[in-house]
Amino acid sequence: MKAIYGLYLHGQSAQRAVDRLRAEGFTDETITVISSEPREDCDFSHMHEPTWMWWIASGGGIVGFTIATALLLHGETSWPIVVGGLPIVAWWPNLIIMFELTMLGAILATVLALIVTALLADRKAMLYDAEVSDGKILVGIENPRDEIIETLRGALQTADDARVKTI
Amino acid sequence: MAVDLDSCTGCGACVTACHAENNISTVGAEQAAIGRAKHWIRVERYWEGDFPDVRLKFRPVMCQQCDAAPCEPVCPTYASHHTEEGLNAQVYNRCIGTRYCANACPYNVRFFDFFNPSWDKPLHLQLNPDVSLREVGVMEKCTFCVQRIKSAKTQAQAEDRELKDGEIQPACVQSCPPKALVFGDLNDPESQVSRLSRSTRGSTLLEDIGTRPKVNYLARQTQL
Amino acid sequence: MTSAAPHQRLRDDLLRPLLETSWRFYLLVGVLGVFVLAGLVAWATQMWFGFGISGIRWPVYWGFFVTNFVFWIGISHAGTLISAILRLVNAGWRRPVTRCAEVITAFSLVIGAMFPLIHLGRPWLAFWLAPYPSERLLWPNFRSPLVWDFFAINTYLTGSVLFLFLPMIPDFAAVRDRSSGLRRRVYRVLALGWRGTPKQWHRLEAAMSIMAVAIVPVAVSVHTIVSFDFSMAPVPMWQSTIFGPYFVAGAIFSGIAGLIIAMAALRKFLHLEDYLHPVHFQNLGKLMLVMALLWGYFVFNERLVTYYGNGPSEMAVFWRTQRESFAPLYWTMVTCNFVLPLVILGITRFRTITGCVIASFGVVVGMWLERFLIIVPSLGHKYLPYSYGTYRPQPVEIIITVATFAAMCLLYVLFAKFVPIISIWEMRAVQHPSPALIPPATAEHPLGETHA
Repeated sequence: MKAIYGLYLHGQSAQRAVDRLRAEGFTDETITVISSEPREDCDFSHMHEPTWMWWIASGGGIVGFTIATALLLHGETSWPIVVGGLPIVAWWPNLIIMFELTMLGAILATVLALIVTALLADRKAMLYDAEVSDGKILVGIENPRDEIIETLRGALQTADDARVKTI
Repeated sequence: MAVDLDSCTGCGACVTACHAENNISTVGAEQAAIGRAKHWIRVERYWEGDFPDVRLKFRPVMCQQCDAAPCEPVCPTYASHHTEEGLNAQVYNRCIGTRYCANACPYNVRFFDFFNPSWDKPLHLQLNPDVSLREVGVMEKCTFCVQRIKSAKTQAQAEDRELKDGEIQPACVQSCPPKALVFGDLNDPESQVSRLSRSTRGSTLLEDIGTRPKVNYLARQTQL
Repeated sequence: MTSAAPHQRLRDDLLRPLLETSWRFYLLVGVLGVFVLAGLVAWATQMWFGFGISGIRWPVYWGFFVTNFVFWIGISHAGTLISAILRLVNAGWRRPVTRCAEVITAFSLVIGAMFPLIHLGRPWLAFWLAPYPSERLLWPNFRSPLVWDFFAINTYLTGSVLFLFLPMIPDFAAVRDRSSGLRRRVYRVLALGWRGTPKQWHRLEAAMSIMAVAIVPVAVSVHTIVSFDFSMAPVPMWQSTIFGPYFVAGAIFSGIAGLIIAMAALRKFLHLEDYLHPVHFQNLGKLMLVMALLWGYFVFNERLVTYYGNGPSEMAVFWRTQRESFAPLYWTMVTCNFVLPLVILGITRFRTITGCVIASFGVVVGMWLERFLIIVPSLGHKYLPYSYGTYRPQPVEIIITVATFAAMCLLYVLFAKFVPIISIWEMRAVQHPSPALIPPATAEHPLGETHA
């Protein structure tokens, strides 16, 4: 894989690099930004804000609730056994199990959504530099066309402390 | 079942008969002393009044076979459940030994097998083949001698006739010298036990808990 | 000074326990391991010889094991619940505290969930609690509180472990970048390909928000259901509508105490003085003070209503704990849970780290006694006076109880060895404050709400 990227010490320099790349016509999807902590203070951190995670969680909750209801109704009626004069399908205790499985469904759906969409989906993207964990911010372009590499090098050199690398 | 407290002399024959009939293992004096004895039926003794005016009262207590039994819904595995005949069944094979049923039972008539069953010699020679042994870690309790109920029913069916009142006698009833214990079908209004249960002397044990027990105690009238 | 220097110092401080190991660590693990092993041997002995070697007897069929079950499930409320609430209200001072707390949850839940198995008469059949299709069409009894426990604890355990694991992913990536060889390979797998793109950060934060919202009601439900184990049975002083909130409050109370003890130990042994400040202990101490008052309020309610209700069987249990054989334990509990925290935590001068730790040890003892005093006196005095009984714990129960405390310490020590016990990225995030992120607590701003 080919890539060109800059490593920045300060959020503002990284932000300037992102802005310049955007000016060059790159979309947010093609710009790679990597930081070792969330940079809420910088504009680039607002790329790809998810709004649908809550929907996934709600969907998981509905799935959990449905499984719970089916399990309870089937489990109680497949061999109806009387205990303590309670009804065979007793709704008060059933509500407890429905609640627990609803929450379990929501939790599992959230985690699965995170792992599938944010971690496994990025598996093929290999652009990374261990210096990120020293606090640097990485801004780069994967697989750039050869003819624009020099333009990009200029665009990424936003500050004195920036180091531009190619691989 | 009906228990006439007026007739009970506290002799303990019912306890012995129950042990013999139901293969209840003896746990030894030491274990019995700390509360590991398994008397499916016990004769409770209460003293009333101050010396010298004391009165002694006996009350045989066995599983009350409640209609709304607190022991049943708490069991996670249905080991404790209600049969169609209205008995509180305890399925030993299904029991995993949470002991929750015993805690929920207000009468403390459920017993836990702390060890595998064993008997003081020669009691091991008189085991009842109709009753299963209970292994370590399960709960057991009075069954109203369900094995006798079943065999009497089968017998009646084979002879193509109705069961007679008083035909079924659990071991405790059979062995009670003053006939204080009476067993029968509460659904049959003409049976002796139904008539006794309708008596004005009748009440059930710890009625206010709402367990609807099927054992009726007839209050004492004589003052000794 | 460039911003990279504190950045690296923070990482190096927090990763040091992972990368350097002293002989003390091995000694500690060895000693704790011996205790845990003793507990396992005791359990095996109990299974081999039968439950008779424990102290339970007719009619007190629950003793130390169920006490420990409720106690450890209670301790588990330290973590997830506290850290989820602090996360939801965005309390800045939570950052160094959350992971310490969430670890307690995960491990104490595992330990607590062991006890329903240990206390079973036939533990090898415990799988009958799980809902699985069998050819006899027989399912678990969904009307049993123990089955509710099964579902609630499994949900809570799954949720807590994931709640703990998600924010660890970026830290695993940091360890991966800093190590080599086998360690690097292991942490590479654990990091799940984490890089740190804005998309990943957003998804992680969103997932954490959802988890925090979901885990709070689950935590409340778990201890309510544990209280249902008691309040669903017609036993004097058990059948009470106050048990749900009473147990939840008690659980959070003991959980905070466990958290304070764990944090003080970490601070001392891992030299985290720069990260766990006295103000963190003071804030948690204040929380614990509130819970002590709440606990006192619930106990007062429970006792007063019973006293006025004047039911004969309830009063038998009432006086047994208030004046008679269980009175020494009862008043020890009141002292540990109410008097001690009120004095130590209520007076600012005593609310130091040492003070908080002393109060916490008191609360741990007091809350253990509380569970014991709920279970045993009631079971020993159910209705018919002829069937009154008592309970005396035997060595097997005491060994297993001690072993669980050792197991908790052991798991915690091992965890701190393999995972940064303070979230590195969450500590770093505060160096770049934004309106949405609130800086950490300082001596001047104890709640961390102001930042110039």
